[in-house]
Amino acid sequence: MKDRTIDAVELEVLWNRLISIVNEQAAALMHASFTTVVREAGDLSAGVFDRAGNMLAQAVTGTPGHINTMANCVRHFVKAYPIDTLKPGDSLLTNDPWLGSGHLHDITVVTPVFYRGRGVGWFANTCHAMDIGGRTLGAGARQVYEEGLNIPIMKLFDEGEINRDLIAIVRANVREPDQVVGDLYAQQAGNDVGAVKLLQALENYDLADIEGLSGLILDRSEAATREAILEIANGVYEDEVELDGYDRPLVIRAKVIVEDRSLIVDYTGTSPQVDRGINVVYNYTHAYTTYPLKCAISPHIPNNEGSFRPITVTAPEGCILNAQFPCAVGARHLVGHFLSQPLFGALSQAIPDRVIADGSAGLWNTQLEGVGRTGERFSYIFFSAGGMGARPGDDGISATAFPSGIKGVPAEAIESVSPVIMHRRALIPNSGGAGTFRGGLGQEMVLSVDSDHPTLHSCMYDRTRYAPRGFLGGGDGRRGELFLSDGTVLPPKGRYDLQPGQSVTLRIPGGGGYGSPFERDPKRVLEDVKQERLSHEAARDCYGVAITADLEVDVEETAVLRGNASADKRR
Amino acid sequence: MSKEAYTLAIDIGGTFTDVVLREHASGILSVAKVLTQSPDPSVSVLEGVKEVLNGVSPGAISRAVHGTTLVTNALIERRGARTGLIATAGFRDALEIGREGRYDIYDLFLKLPEPLVERRLRVEVRERLYARGEVMTPLNEDDVIKACEVLREAGVEAVAIVFLHAYVNPDHERRAGEIVRSLMPGVGISVSHRVAAELREFERTSTTVANAYVQPMVARYLARLEDGLKALGVLAPLHIMLSNGGSCSVQTAVRFPVRLVESGPCGGALAAAHYGNRSGHRQILAFDMGGTTAKAILSENGAFPVTTESEVARVYRFKRGSGLPLLVPVLDMIEIGAGGGSIAHASELGLPTVGPQSAGADPGPACYARGGQLPTVTDADLLLGYLNAEYFLGGQMDLDVDRAADAVDEFARFTRLDRMRAAQGIHDLVNENMANAARVHAAERGIDLNGYSLVATGGAGPVHACGVAMRLGIDRVIVPPAAGVGSAFGLMLAPIAFDYVRSFVARIAALDHEVVNKLYGEMEDEGRALVREAGIDDSEIRVVRTADMRYVGQGHEISVPVPLGELTEGSDGEIQAAFDASYKKLYGRLCDGVPVEAIHWRVTISGPEPEISGSGSIEEVADDQGAVGQRDVLFAEGKCRTEVYRRDKLGRGAVLKGPAIVEEVESTTVLPPGWVLHVDDTGNLILIREDA
Repeated sequence: MKDRTIDAVELEVLWNRLISIVNEQAAALMHASFTTVVREAGDLSAGVFDRAGNMLAQAVTGTPGHINTMANCVRHFVKAYPIDTLKPGDSLLTNDPWLGSGHLHDITVVTPVFYRGRGVGWFANTCHAMDIGGRTLGAGARQVYEEGLNIPIMKLFDEGEINRDLIAIVRANVREPDQVVGDLYAQQAGNDVGAVKLLQALENYDLADIEGLSGLILDRSEAATREAILEIANGVYEDEVELDGYDRPLVIRAKVIVEDRSLIVDYTGTSPQVDRGINVVYNYTHAYTTYPLKCAISPHIPNNEGSFRPITVTAPEGCILNAQFPCAVGARHLVGHFLSQPLFGALSQAIPDRVIADGSAGLWNTQLEGVGRTGERFSYIFFSAGGMGARPGDDGISATAFPSGIKGVPAEAIESVSPVIMHRRALIPNSGGAGTFRGGLGQEMVLSVDSDHPTLHSCMYDRTRYAPRGFLGGGDGRRGELFLSDGTVLPPKGRYDLQPGQSVTLRIPGGGGYGSPFERDPKRVLEDVKQERLSHEAARDCYGVAITADLEVDVEETAVLRGNASADKRR
Repeated sequence: MSKEAYTLAIDIGGTFTDVVLREHASGILSVAKVLTQSPDPSVSVLEGVKEVLNGVSPGAISRAVHGTTLVTNALIERRGARTGLIATAGFRDALEIGREGRYDIYDLFLKLPEPLVERRLRVEVRERLYARGEVMTPLNEDDVIKACEVLREAGVEAVAIVFLHAYVNPDHERRAGEIVRSLMPGVGISVSHRVAAELREFERTSTTVANAYVQPMVARYLARLEDGLKALGVLAPLHIMLSNGGSCSVQTAVRFPVRLVESGPCGGALAAAHYGNRSGHRQILAFDMGGTTAKAILSENGAFPVTTESEVARVYRFKRGSGLPLLVPVLDMIEIGAGGGSIAHASELGLPTVGPQSAGADPGPACYARGGQLPTVTDADLLLGYLNAEYFLGGQMDLDVDRAADAVDEFARFTRLDRMRAAQGIHDLVNENMANAARVHAAERGIDLNGYSLVATGGAGPVHACGVAMRLGIDRVIVPPAAGVGSAFGLMLAPIAFDYVRSFVARIAALDHEVVNKLYGEMEDEGRALVREAGIDDSEIRVVRTADMRYVGQGHEISVPVPLGELTEGSDGEIQAAFDASYKKLYGRLCDGVPVEAIHWRVTISGPEPEISGSGSIEEVADDQGAVGQRDVLFAEGKCRTEVYRRDKLGRGAVLKGPAIVEEVESTTVLPPGWVLHVDDTGNLILIREDA
């Protein structure tokens, strides 16, 4: 073996190999996992790290809440168990929200890799566990103690032997012990596949370790990210958004400071943490800050430790974006998923052509628990998305998740494994904010349960008070709504009993528009009317476009409508 | 000459239509290559058939097999019929809401494919079933009548009908179909329980709508083709290649045209596996590398993995998830943007990258001297000495080494490498890309490539085969003869085979045997009728059952064999054991105590494998095996003076030691140092890594 320099071709080859290896790792994990959201919704992440715990590559899967938090999480493991203190066959885990991805349901398993007797790196993955004890997943807890079992960093395997005490504790605490423990094995299997393939690659390419490679990868990614930041004019850009909160509104305030090749995000002025489970730990704040920044600034640069270096994220201790132990954190996405909005709002002042208007953002998580007609208990959770914000140059995408990367579940799948009935799942006309480019449409769901007993419905919804905002003159998207078949309006984060024969309607918000609606091509307005995405009235009132009964643009009247409106504006 | 002595295969590609006639007794192939004409490719087919017959009596043809990219192209180019959808009230937007996800998490500007049916032509009717098939709301026939009025008014030529849970109880769809048929005569009708009886409303709607969308066009085309063949005197049954690697009758193809969607590359895959198997190798990685893309598929003992989740007409050709999803059984193949025309460029990080952009055939690589300026894989291969500037396509086209050098120099400058290292880099990078894709593909299917043989086809396949093989730890490469018509030849290998599926979620420990027996009974009766329709005798029909099963709570199903005949409590143990075996093979361990459930019940009904013996090649004449020349070639080990051979002059049993180059009209085989090549008695080149 020799210590040798790596030229540009070899670097690209080796880098691609690392990406291929983490994709194999993710494939092994996904197949063996028990948790529907892991496989169907891609709610996992997998990556490879150098000796010091720097993330080098991640699988092409997953959701930012996992990918970027895992990058920070592995450092804590390296600190607790430096690689030279570990042996082959050892493996570690934790689900501590403050070390990992912000709530107890996500378990991170980290495994050191040894080559010729020396630790050369780590494989890690984070997966959503089916259950973690405590209350079920939701926003209702007042402290993290109520939310389930908290496992500090410890060994899952000790020189190949499973930690029996840990497994016994897990089994005693969770509702689906076989599946939860099965998933721990699946997570280990994924890391093991990664390790085997990494050793093969070291052998093939005659490398002693990945340290030299790591330096090159991180430096290149860092330099490219810094060049991308340099394209943004120096300045301080600020914005804030309001959210429903648990029982009272919250403010997220962001200041984006661009200084040559670095970027600072400061959340000072954001609301303090609350006594319900929507608090966000710093790791998760960091993840949902770096992710939208990357989408806007450097989408083609690989996501690794190097690409994070030029970005600093600060949030005062005790604010809802740097919430302190032992606050409750279960439904932290209900705040974290909105961070892209003040960031894009701020950046729209500098790079308006690279950011999108506010969308529905926070996934609407519906959990139903009860007893079916046959007497069998059931518990079912699914995630749903509203409209994405409009984009410079194109309409927003309807009923599609952003920033989360999670996917929805078919109504037929829900009904096949639970007594839940979905009576309707439809786009909501007029729900996309008006604009030169229209916001994506929200969707409406009507649910009931085929049961003689009441069903507990846990609601994890937002944007029922404050609409997704339009950008640069675009109109707001339509707010969310939640009500029962008798007309009763429900709080967006409560729990209540859905009675037999009753149904509940969820109207998930539409996205905000982009640019003045009066600049929208009347042909596109007409097309929206033809496709029943927009009413005649809304075409006239919001866009200043008159559509005739036989579906043509009334050019003259449109000119009058638009002329008057722009005259109004000038006054 | 005996009657029924020939098989005819017709393979329509984007540029050329290949027509191949195979004499059963000798195995000798006659080939015609004609330009594919649009809009009516049947014209070129008939021209090719006339040419290839060349005196042979058309009555002596016992079977004709046809593969076409018509369906795929119609979906990509959006040339199908104006289509309407009749859906369950509240669910017309299933087609547009999809799975609520993004296929690229970093692209804010991503585009989703437009649904094939615009929103105003998706009409809702009141009806509803529970998941187990009981009626919640009866079908409102007035709504169906009104829907017909709306769709007729809009001038639709095809109608898709998709109701929730129709895969369990098709009554409502069936009745709605009758009403549409009576009120809209002449309009094509596709109902979801017939096209894709599988749970998941978005994917089933997408599939049913695609079927409706292409049906009128396919019906017209196949009718013209059948008539044309009859007029030429070809009276043999015409079979159409399906995307599952089997074939079907024309009637079936017209009923389920969406099943033809990815059939294009199937012929090539069947041929590659056939050649590999004939040389005694049962585990095959078929690897086809052309000008723009490389494709790969795994085959074990002649069987191919089939996936039931595919997609077509992607917004971005190489981005998974950017297309229209189809619940159609398709050979599980990967395609990546790596071919001879793939362009080398700098990534945003200033690193060398190859593909997926391609110079294609026009302007093509810089060395074609047709105006291409950018460095491609072919330019690198030429500079490295793998290709012969004077013997490209058998000398039909000269390659310009200077232009290749200029293009690669540009690339060398920004990567700070010298010219030859840069060329080597392009070659290595494209090999690495292909190897990575194959490695992840195998991993996703729980397959270890150790012991596999790589069968290389396509113009660039044999140039890159050993490089890819070494990266995958594969020690044996097979280069079949006459790669140019492999795809058409492969069509002849396709048995009649059709797949059925019905979704029914059930735990194995509490299986309702009556329901499952009924599902299998219905599927198998229909399948037998369909196979008989293609001229297969009852005694020759084969039935294979599988179920997609998982542990309760898991999100991913695995395919498990299911015993034939009447299922009873006694067979539950057998099903459980089969699940255990399949699960253990994939994941290495079981989850004791967790119940197992089945989601989809599947059956494949097929006719016999066609008997294909003989070499399956154009008649070859080999004389001596001497080298025709020498040139300098750059391998990973350094520059070597390398002997150059012509394939058509290598006799059976010839042995070469690497480094060596073997040239033929369609391609060039590169044998690196440390590899040995011999020509086996089937005409395959067998390349074996000696130092492994």
